[in-house]
Amino acid sequence: MIPLIFLISFIFSSAYALGNTLVLLDNQVIKETHSIFFKSLQDRGYQLTYKIADDSSLHLSKYGEYLYDNLIIFAPSVEEFGGSLNVDSITQFIDEGGNVLVAGSSVTGDVLRELASECGFEVDEEGAYVIDHLNYDISDNGQHTKIVVPSDNLIEAPIIVGEKNEIASLLYHGTGILADPENPLVLPLLTADSTAYSYIPEQPIKEYPHAVGKNTVLIAGLQARNNARVVFSGSLDFFSDDYFTSAVQKGENGVKVPLSGNKKVSLSIADWVFKQQGQLRVRSVKHHKEGEKVPPQAYTIMEQIVYTIEVDIWESREWKPFNTDDIQLEFVRIDPFVRTTLTRKFLANTKLDLKSQTFMVFINLMLIMTGWATHIYTVARKCL
Amino acid sequence: MIFHTFIFAGLLLTTQASISDYISKSDIQKFVPSLESALESLNAEDLPNVYYAAKGFTLINEPLPKSTTDACKHLEKHFNNDLASEVLYQVLSAWSLMNCAKTLNKPLHTESTVKMLKAVLENLESNSADIRYAVHAMNVISQPLPNPAKIGQQLQTKLKEDDSLPSVGQALHAASLLGNAGTFAIQYVEDVVVQADEVDGRMLQWEGGLTVTSLLLTGLLTLPNSKPFTQVQADKFATYLLTRKTVQNAKGIVSLIEAAHALSASDVSPVSITFVESAQVTNLKPDLKIRISNMFGEPLKPAPAPVIAQSATRTTDDVVVLSKQPLNVGSTPTEFVLPLRLDPGQYRVGITAGAHSAALMVRVLGPVNIQWLEVGLGDTDGTSAPRLTKLQHPSTLTSPLQADSSHHLILRFSLSRPVQQPFLRLSSGKREIVFVAELDSSKAYKIDVNLATELSHSAHFEMELILGDSIMSNPLRWAFGNIEVLLSTAEQEQQPGHGPRPEIKHMFRPAEKRPPQVVSMLFTALAAMPLLLLLILWLQLGINFKNFSFAALPFHVGLGGIFALFTCFWLRLDMFATCAWLIPIGGFTFLAGHHILSKLAKQKK
Repeated sequence: MIPLIFLISFIFSSAYALGNTLVLLDNQVIKETHSIFFKSLQDRGYQLTYKIADDSSLHLSKYGEYLYDNLIIFAPSVEEFGGSLNVDSITQFIDEGGNVLVAGSSVTGDVLRELASECGFEVDEEGAYVIDHLNYDISDNGQHTKIVVPSDNLIEAPIIVGEKNEIASLLYHGTGILADPENPLVLPLLTADSTAYSYIPEQPIKEYPHAVGKNTVLIAGLQARNNARVVFSGSLDFFSDDYFTSAVQKGENGVKVPLSGNKKVSLSIADWVFKQQGQLRVRSVKHHKEGEKVPPQAYTIMEQIVYTIEVDIWESREWKPFNTDDIQLEFVRIDPFVRTTLTRKFLANTKLDLKSQTFMVFINLMLIMTGWATHIYTVARKCL
Repeated sequence: MIFHTFIFAGLLLTTQASISDYISKSDIQKFVPSLESALESLNAEDLPNVYYAAKGFTLINEPLPKSTTDACKHLEKHFNNDLASEVLYQVLSAWSLMNCAKTLNKPLHTESTVKMLKAVLENLESNSADIRYAVHAMNVISQPLPNPAKIGQQLQTKLKEDDSLPSVGQALHAASLLGNAGTFAIQYVEDVVVQADEVDGRMLQWEGGLTVTSLLLTGLLTLPNSKPFTQVQADKFATYLLTRKTVQNAKGIVSLIEAAHALSASDVSPVSITFVESAQVTNLKPDLKIRISNMFGEPLKPAPAPVIAQSATRTTDDVVVLSKQPLNVGSTPTEFVLPLRLDPGQYRVGITAGAHSAALMVRVLGPVNIQWLEVGLGDTDGTSAPRLTKLQHPSTLTSPLQADSSHHLILRFSLSRPVQQPFLRLSSGKREIVFVAELDSSKAYKIDVNLATELSHSAHFEMELILGDSIMSNPLRWAFGNIEVLLSTAEQEQQPGHGPRPEIKHMFRPAEKRPPQVVSMLFTALAAMPLLLLLILWLQLGINFKNFSFAALPFHVGLGGIFALFTCFWLRLDMFATCAWLIPIGGFTFLAGHHILSKLAKQKK
C-alpha cells in the first residue's frame, strides 16, 4: 500500500503591527487638501512619513530591511522619483509583500503608468478624463468630468469597500483605468456607469476610447499571490477633503445627498490595502477517518475522511473566527478534480466528508476564499 | 477678430486679476461643529484649544454656544503663572473673548501674572515667540509695555540668531504692537515675501503650511505703513487659502479666517469673480449670473463700477460674438447678470469690474434633436440593399431583429448638430458592447457592426442609443429595440473570476455490465458438472478402507501437505515461496507414492 505524508504549510503575514507608511506627495499642499484622509489614517494607528516624491533622500529600505510596510503615492504628476526609489524598487517592494496605494489623475506621469502596468492595470492617456454626460455632479465645471458614481458600482466585497447599501453616491474626477477582466488577481473596486467613457474632454471622438461604459475602471485593486496588496485610483480628488465633505447632486434635477460616500469607501479601501481588513490565517487543520480521532498512515479508496479547518480573520485589530459559507476545498491532480464547499460546523470550524482517492501522486488542497480575503494555500503532498 | 483679442489681452494687462472662489456662508457653517467640539472636549493639556474655539467663534461672527461657564471654570482651574507665555496669552485671550470676567465675576490674572510677563520680556533667553506672546498678553490685560525700545532691540538680537520663517512671523506680530520701536521689522518684509513658494503657478504659500502662512500673512499685514504684496501676490495667497477651506481643526480654522480677514482688509483685497450657480446657461435660462465680491462673498466697498463684459469669444473658432456689454445689477448687491442669447457652444467671457478682471469659461447649452434614425440588417457580401426601419424618438422597434453570422447591423441617424458621444450600446445581462458612430460625408452618423466578428456567441441584445455632449442640454439614452443574434457558437457559461467556483463531484469508474444472473448460474452449474460426476462415480465405487495400511500414511500426509500449501498460496504466499515449499514436499510425496505403489505391486504377485 502507499504511504501518505501530508506536508501542510500556511502562508502567514505579520498583521500585528500597524504599518509604518511612507506618503509621497507632489507638493506640500496635497498634505493639507487631503488632511482628513491622512488624519483618519493616523487616528487608526498608522505612522505616516510625508515626503515630496522627488526628494533626493527617498529610500524604501536600508541595509536590506524595509523601512516601511506601506507606501502611499499621492503624486500624480511625478516624472521620476527621488533617491533610490524607482519603478523597479517599488515592484520589488510589492514582490516582498509591501502594500501600495496610488492615486493618479488626468496628468498621471510616466513613472506611475509604468508602475500601474507592472501591477496589471493600464492608465488612460494623458489629458483623458472619465466623462459622463448623464451622471455628473452639479458642481461640475461644465466638462462633465466630476462624475457621480452610485455605490452599486462598487465591487461585491464588503471586506474591501464596506456595506454597499450604507454608502452614499461617490464623487470622482480623474482618468480611467483599464484592467484585464480575465485576470483573477485584479479586482475592479469601482467601475463607471454604462454612459461613461474615458476621453479628452471637448475633443471629437476620432479613435475608439480606451475605456467605455462599465469596462471603465475607476479604482482597481490587486491582491498578489504573495498577499501584497495594491490599489490604484484614477482620481486623487476622490480622497480629498473637498470630496469627503461635499454634498452630491446628480445634474440640475437630481436628488441632493448631504454627504458623499467618499470618506467611508476611501478609509475602507485603505484598511484593506494596508491589510487591516480581510486578512486570513489558518489556525488548525485536522483530518481523520470518520469515527476515529487520529489520522491513519494512509487512506484507501472509499473511506470517509473528515477534514476540519479553522480559519481566522483579522478584524478590528484582533483575530476573530471567520464566518463564511464559501470556503472551498480543491483536490488538484494537474487539474482540480474535486471541488467542494465546506460546511460550517460551529463558528469558525468547517468540516467536510469526502471519499479518499487512490493513486494520487500529488494532491494540492487549495482553499479558495471568496470575499477577496487572503488566499490560503494548504498544500498537501503525498509521496509514493 | 485678432484686433478684439488684442484689446482683451491688453485689458487683462492693465487691470488687476481676480480670484475664482470665496469663503461662503455654508463653508463657514461647516466650521461650527469643529469649533464646538473643541470647546466641549476640555482637558488639562489642551488649553490652547479653548482659545482657538473662542477665537474661531468671534472671527466667524457666530454666538458662542449657550454656556461658556464650564470652559471658563476649566481655564481658571488650570491657569497658573508658570505656563509658557504662548499658553498664558491664549488663556488670557480666551478669558476675555468668552467674557469670563463677567460670568465668574473676577479677573483671571493677578499682579504676579504681570510680573511674570515682564520677566519674560526682560529675560535675554526669551525667543521671538515668547516675546510676541508676552507683548500680546500684556495687551490683552491692558497693561502698558515697559520700555518698548528695549523689547525691539531684544527682538532684533533674537532674529539675528534665528531668522526662520516662524521666528520672523512672531517678531512681526510683536513689532506691530511696539509702536515706533517696531519699525525695524520693515526691513524683513521683502525678504519674507521672497521666500514664499509658488505652487502650480497660481498659489503662493510659505513652507510649513497653513499655520506658518497665516502667521506671516497676518504679521506682514498688521505691520503699520507696510505694503508687502502686489495685487497678484495677494490673489495667489488668497487662492492658496481658499484651497484650505476644508480645514478641520480649530487651530487651522482660526489661522485660515485670520489670514483671510487680514488679506481682505488690506488695500490689496482680492476680488472674487465667480459664477453664482453654474457656468452654463441654456436657451430657456439665458441669464449668466456672476458674483463679484470680496474673499468672504460680501459686496465690495466701494461697489465696483463699471461692470462690463469686454468680450465673448467662441473657443472653437475664436469668433467674437459680443463686446463691451455692461452687466445688469442682479437681485443681491454681489450679483450681476449678463443675458447670453448665443448658439450652443463654449465661450470665453472677459469681465471687468472696476480695476479687476476675469476670464471666465461659459457654456451655452442647447438641445440636440434626432432628425431621423434608421436601423436594420445588411448582408456581409453587400449583394442586396440593407432593410432599414425608420424610427422616431421615443418609439421602439415592434419586433426584435433576427440576425445571423451573415448579417451586419446597420444604424444611421442624423442630429441637429454633432455631439462628442454618439454611442450604440448592445447589452445582454451584465455584458455590454459599445460602438462609436462616425460621421459620414453627408453629415449623418453611421454604425456598421459585423456581427460575426464583433460578437463571440449567440445572444439576445438590447440596443440603446446614448447621446451626450458638454453643451447638450438634453443628454439621452434611448433603448430603441432588441436584436436576436444566432451564431454557430452558443453562449458560454461565464466563469466568474471571483467568488465560489462550481463544485466538481468525482465519479468512480462504473462497474462493467454483467450478464443476467440466470446465465451465470447456468454456467456455474456446467462448470461444476465434472466435479459432481466425480463425486457420483466415487459414491458408486465406494472407498476401500480395508486395504489401508500404515505404510500408505506418508503418501497421504505428503498429498495433504501439498493441498495445504496450495491453500496458503491462495491466501497469502506468492509463487516463488510456494515453489520453494513445493520442491521438498513434492519430492517426499513422490518417494512415498513410489514406495506404496511398488509395495502394492509386490503384494499382487
